[in-house]
Amino acid sequence: MSDQNVNQQVYWRFSVLQRTVHLIVMFAFIGVGLTGFSMALSSMAPARSFVWFLGGIDSVRYLHRCFAVTLYFCVVVEVLWVLYFKFLLRGKLLGPNSICFGFKDLNFFKEHIKYLLGIRATPPPFDRFAYWEKLDYWTLFIGMQTMGLTGILLWFPEFFSRFLPGVCINLAQVLHFDEAILAVLYKFFIHTTVRHLRPEVYPGDWTIFTGQVTKETIMRAHPGEWALMSENQQGAPVGDQ
Amino acid sequence: MKPRLQTSALILCATVCCLIAGWMVGVSRAAEQSADCLDCHRQRNLNSNAGILSAQIFCYNCHQDPASHGDFRASKVSLQVKPEYFLKSPHRLVACIQCHRSVAQSPHRSLSGVKCVNCHPEFFGAAGTHSEHQRVRCEACHTDSPFVILDVANNEVKLSHTNSKLVPISLAEHKTTDVNQQEFCSRCHKPDNQVGAPVAVLPSKSFVCIACHYSPLRMGNPIFLIAIIIAIIGIIGTLIFWFKAGVQGEVSSVHRKFQLGSEVVWSKIFSKEFFPILKTVIYDILLQRRILANGVSRWFIHSLIFYSFFARFVLSFATILFQKIAPEAALTLTLVNKDSPFIATFNDLTGLFILAGVIWAMVRRFITKPEYVATQEQDTIALVIIGLVTFSGFVVEGTRILIAQIPEQVAMSAFAGYLMSRLFSIINIGWQSVYGYIWYTHALLWALFIAYLPFGKLKHIFTTPLSLLLNYKKE
Repeated sequence: MSDQNVNQQVYWRFSVLQRTVHLIVMFAFIGVGLTGFSMALSSMAPARSFVWFLGGIDSVRYLHRCFAVTLYFCVVVEVLWVLYFKFLLRGKLLGPNSICFGFKDLNFFKEHIKYLLGIRATPPPFDRFAYWEKLDYWTLFIGMQTMGLTGILLWFPEFFSRFLPGVCINLAQVLHFDEAILAVLYKFFIHTTVRHLRPEVYPGDWTIFTGQVTKETIMRAHPGEWALMSENQQGAPVGDQ
Repeated sequence: MKPRLQTSALILCATVCCLIAGWMVGVSRAAEQSADCLDCHRQRNLNSNAGILSAQIFCYNCHQDPASHGDFRASKVSLQVKPEYFLKSPHRLVACIQCHRSVAQSPHRSLSGVKCVNCHPEFFGAAGTHSEHQRVRCEACHTDSPFVILDVANNEVKLSHTNSKLVPISLAEHKTTDVNQQEFCSRCHKPDNQVGAPVAVLPSKSFVCIACHYSPLRMGNPIFLIAIIIAIIGIIGTLIFWFKAGVQGEVSSVHRKFQLGSEVVWSKIFSKEFFPILKTVIYDILLQRRILANGVSRWFIHSLIFYSFFARFVLSFATILFQKIAPEAALTLTLVNKDSPFIATFNDLTGLFILAGVIWAMVRRFITKPEYVATQEQDTIALVIIGLVTFSGFVVEGTRILIAQIPEQVAMSAFAGYLMSRLFSIINIGWQSVYGYIWYTHALLWALFIAYLPFGKLKHIFTTPLSLLLNYKKE
């Protein structure tokens, strides 16, 4: 049962920028997946019907590229945000509140496996982001670079074959398709299950849409973060942290 | 033999003879009509380079011979194809019959000619060149022949089969043009040309032209870049000024002001407050209820300008979408063609509405002068810029119709532009040369509009809706 339905103190977890980027990525990812697979699986009747519905192959190809450019635009926004955070806000990129992996995550992973196997009584005291949340973020972020690289080779094959051997275009086609399968399987099944179908948050985790998280959720799921929050921050729900 | 039996046998024989004769005539006619070379000759595998080269050699057997010729208007015209040219062309790995689709037959002649669109999509994208050359056949520009004519009856610019002395010429050389060379354009864009082209080679429109025209997603002429830079400086200055004020109690940190402000916007959009905001968008911004409350004539003047610009922007934007999504659809080809009846009439009608709104506003400000109309310098500048942009647009259109010699039945749809062209035709001042200056005047005026946007009265285009949205609770 979701513990977010209880009327209690809430804290900010995601900023408007993070929520907006997630919303755009969510719709663009669905769009790029639908249009991409309808082109890749063009011998199948449902794919052909979908292509017809969207106005033909030219239209689908155009929409696929629009969605892809939108997705990559979000990557650029993330990078710009990191630069702004580091150089203007003088923030710390590494540390307990960071989305970046650290050696501590290896320990968390080991302890979490023990907890899942029943060897340990409680889950480890995760920081702001647990290792699977970091994995969620970085799979998409790194995946976008490889999908973008292979995608742009397929978009402008004449240009790239001026200085790359032709086999690179074939390789790009194979890798683009294979990684698309991987990405869709991961995002539609593992990400959705881990985020929204866990008993604690079922039927859905709305944190990424509302930006808010309850005190109990922080204390239960991110005790490391709660411990690091100053007394002022703990006493100032829905304020700047 | 009994007479009845004799008659029946005779009728039967006649019928059989007729059937046999009819079958033989039919067969011979059918053979004459569809004696396809490939009925007997083996078709090469045109999916392979080897097959294509083999098919080319089959044609070269005759067409490489300098004596190869055809008859055109009682003259012999060479049909020799020179491999040294063809092997340099982009079509060197295309078989002859892939373009000349109907020649592999007896009698050996092409009935339909070559159609580039069989392979190359009919791309009239707004990216400069093609959209302005819709009535120009591909081969008129992309082959090397200097003899290009305007077929006024069909409103088409095409290759001529004769030279300037009306002597038939060969078009069989297959020499393609390097479109990147400067002189490529000057084949038509030269003084006293006969194909209706302006003397100046004009740049493409800019993406900022989308407010009124279907335009490419590119910067275009540097004047637009300068205008946009000035506009951006103005917008940044305005934002800095706005953010000097406090947001939600925060007075010092700009970062916090953005954070708090964006949080308010998010909480309004994703809540029940969305519906009153939507109501404000519909009633106050789109239907302009508050202007109507100030006076019907005031609403009418503003609507003539606002709705016309709005409709033109929506249509331009939709055309770009259609062009990207379905470039070859009939609807797209209609929308991108500024001489198509709907687009021509729509553009002229909305242009006239804008002009009428501007003139009406000017009359109220300077002639009738009602008490509640407070004339300010900024208002006058905005009205003058809009009025001049619109009027110069009609002048550009009229000149274009005149020099391009657009047939009357086509040009009539652009009723105001056509009227202008008739008026201009009275004055003989070399419109082909003047057109470039008129075009640049129109473009400069629009660049001025863009640059002036954040500074004068025109900024109300953005600030008024924003102010209405921020005060959506006030009725």
